Amino acid sequence: MKKSTMIVLVFVMAGLLLIGCGKQPTEDMNAAKSAVDAVIAEGAEKYAPEDAKKLNDELTAALDEVKIQDSKTMKNYSKAQEMLAEVKADAEALKTNLPVKKEEARNNALAAHEASKTAIEEAKKLLAKAPRGKGSMADIEAMKADVKGLEDSLLEVQAAVDAEDYAAASEKAKGIQEKAAEVSSQITQAMKKVGVKTQ
Amino acid sequence: MIQIIKRIFFVCALIYLTGCGVPQIPPEVKLAEEQELNLWRLGAQVYLPIPYAQYRENFRKARKNLFRENSKFVWFRSYKAVRSEFINVIQEGNRLFVQLEQTKQDLSRHVGNEIVVLQERIDKLKELTGKINEGRLARRDLVKAEVLFLEARKCYEENDFKKAGERIYMGFNHLAAAESILFPIFNRYADKNQVMKWKHWVEDTITESKEHNRIVLVVNKSERLLTVYKKGLLYKTYPVGLGQSGSQDKLHAGDRATPEGRYRITKKLPKSKYHKALLINYPNDDDRRQFQIAKEKGLVPHQTSIGGLIEIHGGGKDIMTYGCIAMNNRDIDELFKIVKVGTPVTIVGAVSLQNSLSSNLKGL
Repeated sequence: MKKSTMIVLVFVMAGLLLIGCGKQPTEDMNAAKSAVDAVIAEGAEKYAPEDAKKLNDELTAALDEVKIQDSKTMKNYSKAQEMLAEVKADAEALKTNLPVKKEEARNNALAAHEASKTAIEEAKKLLAKAPRGKGSMADIEAMKADVKGLEDSLLEVQAAVDAEDYAAASEKAKGIQEKAAEVSSQITQAMKKVGVKTQ
Repeated sequence: MIQIIKRIFFVCALIYLTGCGVPQIPPEVKLAEEQELNLWRLGAQVYLPIPYAQYRENFRKARKNLFRENSKFVWFRSYKAVRSEFINVIQEGNRLFVQLEQTKQDLSRHVGNEIVVLQERIDKLKELTGKINEGRLARRDLVKAEVLFLEARKCYEENDFKKAGERIYMGFNHLAAAESILFPIFNRYADKNQVMKWKHWVEDTITESKEHNRIVLVVNKSERLLTVYKKGLLYKTYPVGLGQSGSQDKLHAGDRATPEGRYRITKKLPKSKYHKALLINYPNDDDRRQFQIAKEKGLVPHQTSIGGLIEIHGGGKDIMTYGCIAMNNRDIDELFKIVKVGTPVTIVGAVSLQNSLSSNLKGL
């Protein structure tokens, strides 16, 4: 090959190297953003809040790196590309694990919901057996109203489950269960006082 | 020639490797990253949102400057300014830790107090509901407040003060709803003018008993007592039950309230659904007047009459009636023997401002 051709080839290759580092990685940016958006939409902030925060921070850092290179004459996006690829991979890994965490939270909420329903039913059964008269009519009416209030609260649990707010659903269901048990205990005591069998 | 090309390639490679090499991060960067994450874990974004946002912005600026420095050729890099920036960020973060700790302690104290207040108020209102039949109407809201209280307490124990605060706020809303049912009823028994009016009725009735040598009956709703006066002197007292809304003054049919006023026995029923019964002349003229006024004000449901058939009957003092006054069977048996058609019956809420219902309003 001629000497001049070789020299030109060398400089062209060097130039290509520099240009190759110099194009904004738009595709990588979009891919990373989409991956993060997708995992946030799946509920990452609810079920894996720390992982979601780290992901958002990583994406911000990667986009900052891109901005810095944008402002330079001799751009080199290789670091930014590396960071964006990592964001995308982390987002996809989180998305894979998320359904398991979501399912666990859902199952806990449903179990708590069932337990609270059972506790209310127990209180209602006891109320049906509760004695009339002998100083208890007003108490019974009051406890009937208590049970109605608990049933109202149970509807809120269902609404939270439907909205996939499983933590809130579990918390409320546990409160209802505790209160329903208290009402059952009060009825049992009232029945024992007047000599009525609770079984 | 080949030697020249090799040299050029070597120089390009050297420039490339040193120009695009792995950046050296000052140790303060890692410390700052850990600090930022720890602040987040402790809830800085929740309890100190503005200072935390400022801190994050400063952290981000420092990091951008780090990236800027990293992107320079290694011969032109200097991390002195960047390191200084990160040191400032760490110092800011340390101040934020102290502030966050203080904020959370203050909030913990405040929320803890609110939980105690909420619990006490719930207990007090529950006690009120036990004093009147209408109490059951407030229980639904009270129990919702109790459930929220339990949630608030759990959040507090888990140091989630924001959530605890939200639950407490919702709990107080339910308490307000319960109070809006209970307080108007109780307040009547603390109303000086109302109590004086009742007291005069009773005094006039006892005077009538004395002057005309008559047996008269006085029903005191707040104390749930029926008192028999003979010749103006107390003869006997019996415990009684009232309507489901018995603490209120009867206004119309179906309101299940026990009327207040001066009445007379119009009929004696020796055989009744409730053992024995004494029918009184509700509605009297005063009741009709009140009904008309209420109707004009729109306080009476459409096509609802004033009602009637108010009795003093047996069946047990613990039943909740549709407005009648209920007694134990042996008590109505005794009463039946001594009263007659025309016997005055005065029904009042209370005869003293210090009565069972008004005294329960203390501290509320």
